Amino acid sequence: MSLEPFNRLVKLAARAFYDDITMKGDNQPKTGRGDNRGIAVVVLDALARRQWVREEDLAKALKLHSKQLRRILRFFEEEKFVTRDHRKESAKGAKIFSAAVAAATGEGHQTGKEGEEKVKMHTHSYCCLDYAQIYDVVRYRIHKMKKKLKDELDSRNTVQTYVCPNCGKRYSAFDALQLISFTDDVFHCERCDGELVAESDKLAADEMGDGDDNRSRRREKLKDLLKRIEEQLNPLTTQLSRVKDLPVPDFGTLQQWEARASAAARGYGEIDPNDANKSSQVPGYGGTPMPSLGDTKVEVDLGGGVKEEAQPEGKPVKAKVLPPWMIKEGMVLTKEQRGETSIEADASQETTIDDKKQTDMMDDKSLKDEYYKAYYDAYRAKLQETQAIKQEVRVSASDDLFGTTESSHRQVGMKSKRGHDDNDDVEWEDDQPTVDTGNAGTSYKLAADLNMEAKESEEEEDDDIDWEEG
Amino acid sequence: MFFHIVLERKIQLHPRYFGPHLRDKLVAKLMKEVEGTCSGRHGFVVAITGVEDIGKGLIREGTGFVTFPVKYQCVVFRPFKGEILEAVVTMVNKMGFFAEAGPVQIFVSNHLIPDDMEYQAGDMPNYTTSDGSVKIQKDCEVRLKIMGTRVDATEIFCIGTIKDDFLGVISDPSAAS
Repeated sequence: MSLEPFNRLVKLAARAFYDDITMKGDNQPKTGRGDNRGIAVVVLDALARRQWVREEDLAKALKLHSKQLRRILRFFEEEKFVTRDHRKESAKGAKIFSAAVAAATGEGHQTGKEGEEKVKMHTHSYCCLDYAQIYDVVRYRIHKMKKKLKDELDSRNTVQTYVCPNCGKRYSAFDALQLISFTDDVFHCERCDGELVAESDKLAADEMGDGDDNRSRRREKLKDLLKRIEEQLNPLTTQLSRVKDLPVPDFGTLQQWEARASAAARGYGEIDPNDANKSSQVPGYGGTPMPSLGDTKVEVDLGGGVKEEAQPEGKPVKAKVLPPWMIKEGMVLTKEQRGETSIEADASQETTIDDKKQTDMMDDKSLKDEYYKAYYDAYRAKLQETQAIKQEVRVSASDDLFGTTESSHRQVGMKSKRGHDDNDDVEWEDDQPTVDTGNAGTSYKLAADLNMEAKESEEEEDDDIDWEEG
Repeated sequence: MFFHIVLERKIQLHPRYFGPHLRDKLVAKLMKEVEGTCSGRHGFVVAITGVEDIGKGLIREGTGFVTFPVKYQCVVFRPFKGEILEAVVTMVNKMGFFAEAGPVQIFVSNHLIPDDMEYQAGDMPNYTTSDGSVKIQKDCEVRLKIMGTRVDATEIFCIGTIKDDFLGVISDPSAAS
């Protein structure tokens, strides 16, 4: 999805048509501290760098008063350059949006805040550039400009309008019958009997009177105008033709975009169930987070990476390297985010079901280390509760453990959990006492054991076991 | 443009006409009522060429009048946008001139008159070219193009132009030489 040529189109159009728009009201002095001509260009450029953005955020970024920005955005909404969306949401919803923005641009991560539940609904306004419409609108505008000049040149302006200077009533030439007076040979207004003035919309008709040379002068002027339009709009028209065949970037409505963005955010490794739950409680949010994650379909390529379908256009699909100060304990991050290797796919987390959704290709050891650490912590807890039945413990432990920890980090082609289970029974019982005593040592030991165990079993049972992966 | 179409109308006849020449009386009344009128949809009815069908008469309650539905063929005239017509100038004004093409009135405003023609007031106001070769005054024949029509319920009014090629004065009233 190519944003760049479209952004260039927007910038060219902004500088061609809107560079002298001033947003001050008519009753304000324009020359005092200088009027803000050209501010529209700045706003459009800023919007070209963003997708859906909250208007307050944009105002802050541009250091504009939000009222001024709103006026400008309203103007552009009328020009059909920008789509706006106004919705009531609580502060939480606003935070989700910020998170979505962050995910989309690949910076930062969500701050999960368990706030107090005072749900006050403020109306937030969002805006986004509408590229498809911009393309059409710019073409239409140029077409109308040229048509007006050509019509003028061909003298095709047809129906004359007349205005009464006294009462301001307008008449068209069709009403001419009712306007004739028998006293003199000028049209008179029906109401006030004032002399009507013909309203001419001629572009080049600033000279009074007719005359041969006037007419040719007017034609020359028109032709000159036409020529100048051609050459000054040339870069814009070439950009238009370049963009003509490209697919138009489309961010969808605010809800859709936010859904995609938060799904991507989750996918990039921050699996914070707190956040998910919290956001699902937000009223009026549309219930986006968890349920919508099912939208992203995942296609698994055995022996290869994982491709995630329904990848929305216009979304930068790279996970950013998280700075070290951001990596907290227990965060399961992809290697990429730790700054180690680069991966290509997203992760989706369905922690409710025991889905075997494959996600990334990861390095063996570190994954397993982390995994087993968490696994054993939880397992210990579980063991303390139910020590009665081996099988029960085993099975439920495996389910729970695998359920509560992030399930998504398994390598394709590696033995799955069940396999481990079957082989590790005996070992667990033996290791029980040792598990209770020491944390680190045992877990590493266990990890080592399990590693070996895993390798063995892998070799043995790879062929037999056909775990459905997906 | 002229069309030959079939129209229908309900004619009311007074009982005094109920006699051996009922049909003739009916047709006469139809002609009197319809010819020369204008409907927005069909245009001006120029002439009735024939009566196709006369339906059964219905006696109105309260009065003795009888209503006959009559189908008739007629020639209608309806001006269209873009059509070229010849017309006769009826009035010349500072704002343009009025011309008539049969039943329809056309107004040509001065900005649709070629720029080299100027208005000259006088007892016979006219538009004249700078060299005096072409003159538009009352009773001139001009060829003009219809730019737009306004259709009321019973009236059609047009705007015309003579600014295109081959338009303008055809013949002068003061048929010189």
